[in-house]
Order: sequence, then C-alpha cells, then structure tokens
Amino acid sequence: MLLKTFDPLKGKQLRIMDENGEIVDEKNMPELTDDQVVEAYKYMLYARQVDLKAVAYQRMGRLFTLPPNLGQEAAAFGSAYALDKKKDWMVPAFREMAAWLYWGATAKDLYLYWAGSEDGNVTPDDVNFMPSAVPVASQVPHAAGLGYSIKYKGTDQVVITYFGDGGTSEGDFHEGMNFAGVFKLPVIFFCNNNQYAISVPRRMQSAAKNLADKAIGYGMPGIQVDGNDFFAVYAATKEAAEYARDGNGPVMIEAETYRRGYHTTSDDPTKYRTAEEEAEWEKKDPLIRMKKYLEKKGLWDDDKENDYVKHAKKDISAQFKEVEEYPRTSLEQIFKYMYEEMPDILKKQKVEMEKYLAGKEGR
Amino acid sequence: MLYVFKFPDIGEGIHEGKILKWHVKKGQEVMEGDPVVNVETDKVVTDIPIPKDGVIKNTYGKEGEVINVGDALVEMEVEGEEAEEEAEVKAPPKEGREAEGEPASRTEVAKAKTKTKKIEEKGFGVVGQIEEADTDAFLPATGEGMEAQAAVAAEKEPGRKALATPVARKMAMDLGIDINTVRGTGPAGRVMKEDIKKAFDEKQAGPKVARKPGKIEIPAEAEDMVEVEELTQIRKTIINRMVQSKFTAPHATAFEEVEVSRLVELRKEKKEELAEQGVKLSYMPFIIKAVSLALRRHKSLNCKLDMENNRVIYQKFYNIGFATDTPEGLMVPVIKNADRKSIIEIAESIKDLSDRARERKIQLDELKGGTFSITNYGSIAGTYGVPVINYPEVAILGVGRIVQRPVVKGGEIVPGNVLPLSMSFDHRIVDGADAARFIKDLMAMLADPLTMLMM
Repeated sequence: MLLKTFDPLKGKQLRIMDENGEIVDEKNMPELTDDQVVEAYKYMLYARQVDLKAVAYQRMGRLFTLPPNLGQEAAAFGSAYALDKKKDWMVPAFREMAAWLYWGATAKDLYLYWAGSEDGNVTPDDVNFMPSAVPVASQVPHAAGLGYSIKYKGTDQVVITYFGDGGTSEGDFHEGMNFAGVFKLPVIFFCNNNQYAISVPRRMQSAAKNLADKAIGYGMPGIQVDGNDFFAVYAATKEAAEYARDGNGPVMIEAETYRRGYHTTSDDPTKYRTAEEEAEWEKKDPLIRMKKYLEKKGLWDDDKENDYVKHAKKDISAQFKEVEEYPRTSLEQIFKYMYEEMPDILKKQKVEMEKYLAGKEGR
Repeated sequence: MLYVFKFPDIGEGIHEGKILKWHVKKGQEVMEGDPVVNVETDKVVTDIPIPKDGVIKNTYGKEGEVINVGDALVEMEVEGEEAEEEAEVKAPPKEGREAEGEPASRTEVAKAKTKTKKIEEKGFGVVGQIEEADTDAFLPATGEGMEAQAAVAAEKEPGRKALATPVARKMAMDLGIDINTVRGTGPAGRVMKEDIKKAFDEKQAGPKVARKPGKIEIPAEAEDMVEVEELTQIRKTIINRMVQSKFTAPHATAFEEVEVSRLVELRKEKKEELAEQGVKLSYMPFIIKAVSLALRRHKSLNCKLDMENNRVIYQKFYNIGFATDTPEGLMVPVIKNADRKSIIEIAESIKDLSDRARERKIQLDELKGGTFSITNYGSIAGTYGVPVINYPEVAILGVGRIVQRPVVKGGEIVPGNVLPLSMSFDHRIVDGADAARFIKDLMAMLADPLTMLMM
C-alpha cells in the first residue's frame, strides 16, 4: 500500500516514470490500458494548448490577467483522472486547467472566466465542481464542508481540493485539514508544490522538510509524489480515493512540480529565479517524459502529435471566437452570485455603481 | 486590407511599455500568435504576439522607446477580410490613443486621457498649470476607475496619496522622491516612472538658478589677449549664492543719510584708548551693535521665509554677518548674538574673524547662521550701492564712506559728517514701511550712540 510504504518523514517520494519516460517502479505502475494512457496524454496536450493560447491572447490584450499552467499538467490531470467525475467533487484553486477540462469545463468556459464573465464558472449539470478560487486556500474549508455533507448523507463520493505550496501557510489550510481529520471526512487534500508562491520559494514557505509531513499533525496519511509523473500522481490519487471512499478519512498528497511560466501574466519570474533553474525543470516536464514513454511503446509519434496539436488549436481558436462574440459582462454579475438573494449592502453598492456608470456615459 | 494592432493593456491596468526588441521587419509575413515585439512594462518583460495572419507594413516605435497602451504598434496587411471598423483607423503613433475602436479587443482598454487645465488666480494671471486626469478613465480589469476618480477629487487637497504602481513607488523611494508630490501624467493622474525620473532630474539640477551659464568661446586670434583662470570653489559658491538671491528674493533698496558727528567724536575719543589695549576700533562695531538692537524691535527684518511650508520664521537671535574682502573673494563671517555683545567684544570678534577669513583659517560654522548682513564698502570707497541680500536672510545693510559735508542744523549751515546707508530688503516679506521704521531706529542710534544704551 503506497500510503504506508511512502512515508514522507523517511524522505520517500513516489516516482514511477523518470524524466526519460522509463518506468522505474514497475511494481507500483497503475493498471491502465494503452488507450487510457494515450487518452491521458491527449488531455494534457490539449490542456497545454489551451494554456499557451490563453497566454498569447492575454498578451494581445484579449484576456485579462490569468495564471499559466505550463508544467503542471500531470499533477492536475493525473489526480483528476483517478477520480470518478460523474460523482466525485472537485474543489479547485486556479491553476488546474487540465483537471477542469477533464471534469467537463470547456476551453470556452475557462476563457470566458478570464475574460471577466462569471458565466465561465457555470458547472455542467451532471458534474460536481466548484468555481475557481483565487484567494489563497480559501477553498480548503469548502472542501472539508463538502466532505462533511457527504459523510452526513452517507454517499460514497470523495472530494479533491487543490492548493499550492503557499496555501499551506494559510489559516484556512489548517482549519480545513484539521476538521477533515477530526471527522474522518472523505477529502483528498492535493498540494501542487510548484516551488514558488509567486516569488516566495518553497524553502521560505515552511520549515517542514516536506509539505506532505504536515498530514501527520492532522492525523491523516500524507504522501509525496513526483508531480510531473502522470503515473505516480494517478496511482497515489487512486489509492487515496479508495482509502477515503472506504471511510478511513482524508489523505494529503504533495505533488512536487514546477510552475514553468509566470505566476500570472502580471508576474516576471526572471526577478526571482534563474534561467538555469528553469532549464533544469524543463527537462523534467511532464509532457516530454510522457511522450517519450508513448513513443517507446509505439503508441505515439511526431506526426500524431502535430496532427493532434493542429486539430486542438483549430478547436481552441473556434471556441475563443465564441468568447469574443459573447455578450459583454453585465454589471449584475459582479453582485449576483455570492448570495442566493442579494443582501441590502450589495444592492446599495450595485445602485451606486450604476449611478457612477450612468454619470460616466452622460458626460 | 489594412489592420492596425495597438499596444494592448497586458497587465493589471498598465499604461506604458518600453520596446526592448523587435522580432519582425517591414514586409515580413506573420502568423497569428507569432511574437512581434518584446516589451518591458511595470510588471513584466514579455513578447507580444500578433492576433492575425498577414504581412507587416509598418512597425511603430524604436527599440528603447516607451509606448503607451493604445498606441499603434504594427500596421499589417491582412488577407481576405472585409474592412472592419477598427481597421479603418490609420492611426499614427501619437494619435493612437485618441483613435476610437479597439482592434481585436473585446475587453475595454482603459483610455485615460489627461488634459491640461490652466488655473488662474485673480490678480496674478496664469500662475501654473496642473495636469487633470480625465474622469472618464475607468479601468475595468481592476476597478481602479473608482479609486482614480477619488484620487482626482483628492488632488486639490494636501496630503493626497498618489496613484502609482508598486514599481513606481519603489523607484521614487529609491531616488528619495516623495511620490505624493510628483505630478502624475498617467491615466487618472497616475504617477508614471517617467514622471518620477523627471522629478528626480529636476531635483538633481537643483534650483533653476544654479544652472550653468552659457559657454563663452574665445576666438583663436584673441587667445593671447586674454587670461583664463579656473573658477575657485569660493567663487563658484559666490556665483550661486548671488544668482540664487537675486532670482529668489525681489530686492528693494532704501537709501538714507545720517549725520554721525557724535559717533565720529566718540570713536575718536575711544580709539586711542583702545589701541593701547590692542583693539582696533572702526565704525563697524557701532553699526553692528546698532543693527542688532534695531532688529530686536523689527522682527520682520530678522526672519526667514519658508515657502515650502508657507510660513515665516522669526528668529529671536541676532547674528550679524559682515562682508569681508579676502584674496579669494567675498566672505561673510558671522558675529553671533551681537545684541548681547559689547562694542569692544564686537570689535575684537571682527578682527579675529576677518583675519582668519583672509588666512583661510576660518571655520565653516563661523560663516553660517547669520540672520542679517552688513557690507561696508565705504571702508574702501563708495557712497551708495544696491547690496545683494545674503539669501535666505531678508535684508542687508550697505555702509558707505563717511564724508564731511555741509549740513543744516538749527537753520544754520554747519560742517557735518554724513554716513550714507543703503539697505536692500526682500520685498516679499519686508514691506517698505517696515524697512523705513527699522532704518529710522538705526539712524537714531548712529546719530546719537548713547541711544543704544536706551534700547
């Protein structure tokens, strides 16, 4: 059992596939068909295209500030793929594009959100996921709350919530983890340790050797995985989901990965890290190693890749066109969704804003 | 058809960017998403990709130049598209911001304009210009429009907080500039990096009066007919101080004559007596003493004007500087608390300070702290003059040579000793009547030195 064998306190990290696409831990290789592995790669490749396009659109002034995902696709997708998207809950932060896409959001939804429309946050009826949470770790207690409701109702769902290395320093992280631990709630706390909380490096974030160590204090198992290894992420999350679904309580997973891009498009990483470091991590990129693995197995090649990327880009451009043709965000959206019924204070603010805008146009 | 790609707002309400490197040239074919230019903004250094396929017709802005959001960046020929409204805008760079229509942008880019508003003050005509941010400025990405409007409203109030990015704030701090005093030219009055640079350069240059004078060429044929000497540090200081004074304080000068026969007699009487004690008694100790006593009664001549804080500082100490001719040039040693010193003590101080000034042994603090100065050109020659105020003091007394002249006393023409006085004063703070009243008291003491005992 992975959760027992890979004790973070003993410095153990689960890695199944290395940087060259070689399987280095055959014993723990998850049971996936070739088709599933190809499907997984396609999802990640698609997510990467959506992400790269998003940054390009932002740089043209066609989208607002957004957080690039480059390099974190395996952590987001591998964990999502291990769950049952027809019944489980996903509670995201804001850098899990691949998980969103798998769960049922479209590129259009994601773009709409970063173009300033709340409509991008609308969840399809048959799936369970929460909207993007930009405030750091505010979603962690929400996930614990969802876990509590699942336990109360006695369904066999699990919740996965994402946060970053920086999120582990927040009070919300403690409260959510502690609550889930005390009540043995079916929640997977998934930490995308991408080495930087904006410009704060991991070593400045916590004195703990590994972030997964924190699980111990809340009485739950913790495991650290190579977050750029799809198989390791998938295997660990799969086991965590089974553990939680069986009523054993929460699990914390730390996926060690690297944010290859900007924190957001308003950030300049050259100010706080070196080109050498970025080059080192580029070698560990999750898609590069997955492609090598697939090529060795004869499941993928450059032609397939080029065809797929071309197809993906066309599809994404078409969706973006819909976003650009989408009606302008209404003022109401800003006030509408926090409460079922708008409280007086928000009504007042809305009226003030309307007056302001009317005055602006009248001039 | 022609398509103009304007520099987009790529950050949270950024206003400008510096072109670091062009990736494309005129005539080059580009595909949507190709990077065309590398720019540096307040927040990032990044490539800007082009939104359409086509051929580059023109690029605007050179490497190193700063461009504003909304300025035309690239003009390109796009194939197979109907002319779009925005594409008709053939925006030259300068007019780019004014042009309506945002090509390829569904998001509203902040189009903040600043307009220059002349502020007139009654009776003084135009006294200044302020940059007033257009309150149309509304930045949807961050909602700073509201703040901006508040900032505009607050602009007229003291202690307003400037609108600026953290980068700009840090830059101002590093350069020792109070950002709240910098006039912002960005959207909604935002203080931009260039505004801070300008403020810093102005600060570095010092007051405008300290600017270097124009260059004087020496014609080749005249080279052996002139003698060229480098300016000494003392001379440079004199130059700056004189220029600063004359261009800061509007000078007015009052002239008077005092019949000082009694003073002449008194001095004559005491001179030899004191010479035995090694004290050289000139007229200056009497004049300095009289001035210091008169200043006690006329505070406006012993003040300093603090324009930065809009206040007058009246000094309750009377430190009298006296202009001293040294081989290096003019120096003004200061006799501290002259009003509390005896005439003999003042005489001793004059000798000590002027000797050391000539020998360049005087200490810096002995040249500082003056509240009023006296220049005694009469000891050489000269009746009247228009002395230059030793700024930031507000007045200076010029003492001419005492001449024997016929004067009218009790209806009779008698021989008299006439001391000519010329006093320049800073007319911003010293009114003519104040100056006249001061001189009247001073004259009384010089005409009858015994009056000094009564003051």
